[in-house]
Amino acid sequence: MREAFSTALIQLAQQDPRVILLTGDHGYALFDEFRRVCPNQYINAGIAEQNMVGMAAGLARTGFRPVVYGLSAFIPVRVLEQIKLDVAHDRLPVIFIGDGAGFVYSHLGTSHQSTEDIACARAIPNLQIYSPADAFEMTMCMQAAYQAHASAYLRMGKSDRGLVHAAVPEASSGELLQLKQGKPGALSFIATGSMVRTAMDIASASYADASVWSAPFIKPAEIAQVAAICRNGGPLVTMEEHSIHGGLGSMIAEIASEHCPVRILRIGVKDRFSEHCGTYDYLLKEHGLDRTSIEKQLAEFLSRAA
Amino acid sequence: MSKHISAFDTGNLRKTVLDMAFAGSTVHIGCAFSIIELLAVLYRQHLRYPDNDPAAPDRDFLILSKGHGVMAQYACMRELGWLPEEAFSAYFADGSDLKGLSDSRIRGLEVTSGSLGHGLSVGVGMALGAKIKGTDQKTYVIVGDGEINEGPIWEGAMFAAHHQLENFMVIVDENGYQAMGPTKEVIGLGSIRAKFESFGFLAHTIDGHNEAEIDNAIHELWADPSRQPRALIARTVKGKGVSFMEHNNIWHYTRLTAETHTHAVAEVMGDRL
Repeated sequence: MREAFSTALIQLAQQDPRVILLTGDHGYALFDEFRRVCPNQYINAGIAEQNMVGMAAGLARTGFRPVVYGLSAFIPVRVLEQIKLDVAHDRLPVIFIGDGAGFVYSHLGTSHQSTEDIACARAIPNLQIYSPADAFEMTMCMQAAYQAHASAYLRMGKSDRGLVHAAVPEASSGELLQLKQGKPGALSFIATGSMVRTAMDIASASYADASVWSAPFIKPAEIAQVAAICRNGGPLVTMEEHSIHGGLGSMIAEIASEHCPVRILRIGVKDRFSEHCGTYDYLLKEHGLDRTSIEKQLAEFLSRAA
Repeated sequence: MSKHISAFDTGNLRKTVLDMAFAGSTVHIGCAFSIIELLAVLYRQHLRYPDNDPAAPDRDFLILSKGHGVMAQYACMRELGWLPEEAFSAYFADGSDLKGLSDSRIRGLEVTSGSLGHGLSVGVGMALGAKIKGTDQKTYVIVGDGEINEGPIWEGAMFAAHHQLENFMVIVDENGYQAMGPTKEVIGLGSIRAKFESFGFLAHTIDGHNEAEIDNAIHELWADPSRQPRALIARTVKGKGVSFMEHNNIWHYTRLTAETHTHAVAEVMGDRL
């Protein structure tokens, strides 16, 4: 997925000289190729994220197409006000890349873990949010964000969970992508980012009738499509490596409650910081986001059927 | 438009601010008055707006980062004919456009400010953009002395110096006050000039109410062959022009009455009334 990001970025920069990459002193090896191919479109803004975002606004105002890269703990969370006021307020075409979302930096602790970024970004008007699940969705999201000519946040989480598509999907903005067909009245999984692969694995193993959807577009959302999934009649389970407050699960629940209330299990981070450090898989387990824990939560949820 | 008005007469600009503040029953008069001469000189003698178009792509950029002083900028924009008269008489009316802080959706205002410490970075980005494109556009950012408590000011200053943005000028309105009191009692700033010089700026200090001095300093700063960003430290008086407002921080928050409005207008207009 990171390679797909780098490739997409280089393509955009080569076809449009207005594309400028700003990084907050992050992305050491990730940008080697970009720096080699587009050295004049690369700026290391230093360890100064607030200034970097303000500058991106200034560059956008003078006709450039900035791509601002940082860790998602900092971009967008640390610079939320700059994104709100300097960029999104005027729909400036700046793409923010938040890398390492969720628990990627599992050994580094709370400062580098990011499970509130979608919630923060969702509340900002005019700001699109992308959350790709694999390399193909990443390519699609980069193209969509560039073509939208809008303020956008692209969340890049754990990137090596395996592919969920066979090719770059063709989708309109906001659309949920169906990965597995289900039966009427059966369970529907809606997942985003790193959790899509897990949703597919659980559904394929244990819920043959369930449908599985990937949500690479968090905002704007395709309300009619979500409502149609709700009308299918079965319960929903949302899955994200993000807080259950304000992220994908909240978004789906908000739409469902207004258009077609159904039971929804929101799998995500339950309003807590990590207690311990360890491997990525260890941290998923600590937060109940590993496959076994999710299957257990899901079984309990379904056994409590209304 | 008469010649008198188009000359950015500072008494007239202050009267506009007073009339607006009275019409809208609003505050922030003191911090508008400290930048009147700075804005008058910039608009009259330095800023280039081809065809008097506030959105001309090849314009110079003026960013009022201390958005609280925006009424002073409205007063200048009125003289340029960029704002309709009713915007002034109906300031703060329900459904009106001109806000109490700078809003970039108003043609002629480059940024949405008021949350302090934002405008300098945006200006650095604009100066960088102009430099990459090879234009001769200049970028000016006006910050308050209280505002430079904000960290991003210094992040942007470091970047501007490192990238040799010689087309960038920060103007510090050093009126000595911030919202809750004198800067030296809140967060002492020491020498603002020395701070910017140590960050790599070419800096001048001037009397921010002396129009000839302001004009000369801006010319001198741009004329210097150095590739440093520029800093103009303007020593100013909060509430300048009205005796009972000068150095009196209560006019950061106080609303005009009919009586104080009349007295203040009489002072700023003198025998021109």
